[in-house]
Amino acid sequence: MQRLMYAFRQALLAPSRNTRTAVVIGRLLGSAFIICFVTGIYSHFIQDPIPGMVFLTRPIWLYQVSQGIHITAGILCFPLIFAKLYSVFPRLFQTPPITSFGNFLERASITLFVSSSLVEIVIGLLNTFQWYALFAFPFRQTHFTLSFIIIGSLAIHIACKLPLITRYWTKKASYDEDGEVKPTGEPVPAVARLPLPDVGIGYTSRIFAWIDKVPEPKQPKVSRRAFMTTIAATGATVVALTAGQSFRFLDFANIFAPRKNNTGPTGLPVNRTAHAAKVLDSAMSPDWKLTVVSGSTTKSFSRKELEALPQYLVALPIACVEGWSQMANWKGPRLKDVMREVGAPQGAGVRAISLEQGSSYAKTEMEPEFVRDDLTLVALELNGEVLDIDHGYPARMIAPARPGVLQTKWLSRLESI
Amino acid sequence: MTRIRRWQLGLILFGIALLGIGVFVLFQEVNPKRYIGILTWLVAALVIHDGIIAPAVFAVSLASRKLGRRVPQVIIAIVQGALVIGGVVTLIVVPEILKKSIGTLSSSILPQNYLLNLFLFYGVLVIATAAIVVGYYRRFARRANVRSSEVHD
Repeated sequence: MQRLMYAFRQALLAPSRNTRTAVVIGRLLGSAFIICFVTGIYSHFIQDPIPGMVFLTRPIWLYQVSQGIHITAGILCFPLIFAKLYSVFPRLFQTPPITSFGNFLERASITLFVSSSLVEIVIGLLNTFQWYALFAFPFRQTHFTLSFIIIGSLAIHIACKLPLITRYWTKKASYDEDGEVKPTGEPVPAVARLPLPDVGIGYTSRIFAWIDKVPEPKQPKVSRRAFMTTIAATGATVVALTAGQSFRFLDFANIFAPRKNNTGPTGLPVNRTAHAAKVLDSAMSPDWKLTVVSGSTTKSFSRKELEALPQYLVALPIACVEGWSQMANWKGPRLKDVMREVGAPQGAGVRAISLEQGSSYAKTEMEPEFVRDDLTLVALELNGEVLDIDHGYPARMIAPARPGVLQTKWLSRLESI
Repeated sequence: MTRIRRWQLGLILFGIALLGIGVFVLFQEVNPKRYIGILTWLVAALVIHDGIIAPAVFAVSLASRKLGRRVPQVIIAIVQGALVIGGVVTLIVVPEILKKSIGTLSSSILPQNYLLNLFLFYGVLVIATAAIVVGYYRRFARRANVRSSEVHD
C-alpha cells in the first residue's frame, strides 16, 4: 500500500508543484483569508456589538468598502485555494502517512484548514444569493465559528512550515543557477525501492506504465510560469466579472455577481421584500404612525407630521453584508431631531422596531454615535420619489457606515435607550 | 531557542487559542443538533476535492500532455489555462443558475441571465484562447523558418 501511495505521489509530480509555488500561492491565500477575517469580524461586531463598543461613522463608505472587499477577496479565494491544493496535492500520498508527532500535528491542522476553508468559501458564496436550503446549519454562526478555526489552523500550519517558508520566501533563494527550484532535501522513503504491488490482473502497473509514458513537460520554467499566469488570469477573471456589485467602476463587467446596480424598485436592489416581511397591509395602513418614546414621554408621528419636520437630503450607500452596495439619495428628518421631539437625552442610543414579522432584525439597536450623526435620517424619500414599499415605506432608517440589515425598514417605533 | 523556534511556538500558541475561541463560539452559538450537518459538510468538502476534483484535474493534465505530444508546450499550457479559467468560473456560476431556477425571495437577488452570460463567457474564452494560440503558432513558425534558413545558409 505504501509503495502504491509513493507511486501515486511520484506520478502527480509536476514542475509547478514545488515548494516555491506553494509558498507564493500560500502568501496570497493567507493574505486573502486574513482580509476576509478582519472585514468579517468588523461586520460581526457592528451587527452584534459587545456593550460599550464604539464604531466609526466616517467615511460613509467604510462598511460598504469593507464588505465589498470581504466578498471579493472571498471569491478570489476560490482560484487561490485550488492553486494551493494543486501545488501540494502529491503530499496527500505521503508515505508513511505519519512520521512523527510534529508531522501528525501538521497533517491534522492542514486537514482542518483545507476542509473548513472549502466549506467557508462555499457557504459564503451560497449566502450571497441566500441558498440556505442546502445546509442544515445556521449560516451566520457557522461562518463565524469556521473563521476562527481557519485562522487558528492556518497559524499552526505556518508554524509547522516556517523553516520551508523562510527558505523559499525569496525568488533568489529558491532557484539554483539553472533556474531549477532547489530540492527540499526530503529523504526518499525505503518503499521507493520495492516493486509495485499488483491488484487483480495487472491494472495498477498498466496504469502507472501508461502514466510513465506521458511526456514530461520539457521546459519546467514554461510550466511554472504558465501555472502562475493561469492563476493570475483566473483570479482577475472571477474578480472582474463579479466585483461590479460592490465597486461601481466594474459594474460594466458584472455578468456573474448575484446583484446588479440599478435593479429593483427605484433602481435600487432589495434584499427583503415587503411581501417576505409580511408588512403589505400594516405598512400601507392609513392609520400608520411612528411612535417615539423616551422614558415616560411618548409621541406619535404620521407621515405628514414627519414631513413637517426640517427635511434633509443626504447621499448614503445601502451596503449589505452580502457584499453588494449602491449609492442613493435619501430625504427625511434627522433622527436626532425626531428624538429631540420627545426630549431624548443627547448621547443616548435608539432601539428601532419594525412592522416586520418573524425576523431577528425586526428590532435593532443603534449606538449613540450614529444617532447624533447629521447624516442619519428617518428616510421618507429615495432618489426623489416616495419610498417604495420594498424599500421600507412609510419610513425607514438610513445611517452612514452601517450594514443594510440594520437600516431598519417599515419603522413602527423608536425608543431612546 | 532560535528565532524560528520562537516564532513557531508563538504561532502554535496563537493558533491553539483561536481554535479554542472557535470551539467556544460553536458551543455558544450553534445548536448541538446542527453539529452533524457541519461535520458532514467538512468531510464532504475533502471527499469532493481530494476524491473528485483533484484526480479529474490530474487526468485532464495527463490527457492533454499525451494528446498534445507534438504540440509545443506553451500551446498546451495556454489551453490548460483556459480550461482552468472556464472550470473555476463554471463552479462559481452554476449554483447561481440552479438557485435562480428554484426561485428567490426578491427579484433583486440573482437578477441576471446567468446561463446566457455563462455561454457568452465560454464563447469569448474560446475566441481569446484561439487568438492567443494562433499568435503563438505564428511566432513558432517564424522562429522555425529563421532556424531552417540559417541551416541552409
